[in-house]
Order: sequence, then structure tokens, then C-alpha cells
Amino acid sequence: MHIDPLEKKWIQISLGMVSLFMGIIMIDALFHGVNAPSNVETIDSRKIHLSEEFAEENLGVQVAENGDITVRMVAGRYAFFPKHITLPAETRVTFRWVSMDVLHGVHMPMTNMSTMIVPGYVSQIESSFPRPGEYPMLCNEYCGLGHDHMWSKALVIEKEEWQATRAKQAAVLNTTATADEESNNE
Amino acid sequence: MTEISEEERKKILESPPVGTWVLMLSVGSGMVVAWLFLYYGVFLSRGIIN
Repeated sequence: MHIDPLEKKWIQISLGMVSLFMGIIMIDALFHGVNAPSNVETIDSRKIHLSEEFAEENLGVQVAENGDITVRMVAGRYAFFPKHITLPAETRVTFRWVSMDVLHGVHMPMTNMSTMIVPGYVSQIESSFPRPGEYPMLCNEYCGLGHDHMWSKALVIEKEEWQATRAKQAAVLNTTATADEESNNE
Repeated sequence: MTEISEEERKKILESPPVGTWVLMLSVGSGMVVAWLFLYYGVFLSRGIIN
């Protein structure tokens, strides 16, 4: 088959570019751990509210004793619950998402957060927010007539401010608990 | 349009297609730069997902 020399050159350039891109992706995948999300966990979507992890009081931002921050969110037509969360900037945060009804997706512009939320599975993504500000969480999988209204917000504040707010909240809770205890003793 | 002689026409056809090569290299390098920017500047800089 005759191929014009210039067409051959175009083919060579195209193949060269594809090889370069594939090579970079392969090197990152094999040696630097850049892979597709691999967390596979199942959950009964009909009983999310009864599950220990995604019960209503456990939703939102949770801080472990070692300081790890986990955000548990439930997607349902047509919102992400809780509707508003506050997070610290420049801190690694683990998001765990479940769907209570149909297939949803979540996208937070200017971050790495973009994943499908498949009913029956837990989607887990680690993210961080370099700058304080208001980050919308948008559904990016068509889920019904109210899909375009399905969004929530994450308010990202400075790390120090976030820690101070947490400490203040903890102090208020302690005071309330002590007062409750005292009134019970009386 | 200016008429060109048969000799000139032959010379043009036999000369290397410099314009096409410039086009090839500029399109190719532009695409490579754009891809590298999206991969390293946008995708990886926002953090990897595992």
C-alpha cells in the first residue's frame, strides 16, 4: 500500500505523541502509585441510616484521636447531607460517600474531588484544599428532575481558625456535659 | 495570478515541504505542551486518588 511520505510523517508524529503520553502514564502508575480509585467497599443502600458509620449523628466532619479528618456524606435526591461542612485548608481530608437512592456523582471544582457515588458502594477519596474559600459540591451524574439543584457547600477556613473553632466547640460541649452531670447528681 | 515556468514548478515540487514540517512541529509540540500542562499542572497538582 502506498503511503505518501508526508502522511507517514504525520503518522509518526501522532504515534510518537501517543507513546510519550502512554509512557508517562505507565511510569507514574508503576513507580509513583498514580492509579484509578481502588477502594471497593459495599453497603446496603436501604439501611444506610441504620448503619453505624453513616447514621445521622456520624455524618459530616469527624476528627479521630490521631488528628485524621474524615468526612462522611450521604448523597440522595437532591442534596448531599449534611448541606454545609467546614474544613481546614492545607490538610488531608478523607471523604467517604454513599448514595441512599440512585447513582450520583460529586465534583468539587479546583480540587481532585470527582467521583461517582454508586448505590451499594462506598466511594472514598482523599483530598486537600490549598486555599480557604467556599467550595461547591455538585452532582455530576444525572439523577432525576432535580439534578441541577443538587449541590452542597464546603467552607474551607485557615487551619488555625478551624482548630480554634473546634477547641471552642469542645469546651462548650464539656461545659454542657459537666452542667448536665451536676444537675443529675443533685 | 503569476505564471510560473515548468522549470520553476518542478523545482518547487521537488524541494522539501518546509511549511508542512513547520506546521507538523508546531501542532505536535503545541499538543504535547497542552497535555503536559493538563497532566502535571492540573491533574497531578490537585492530588492523586487511590
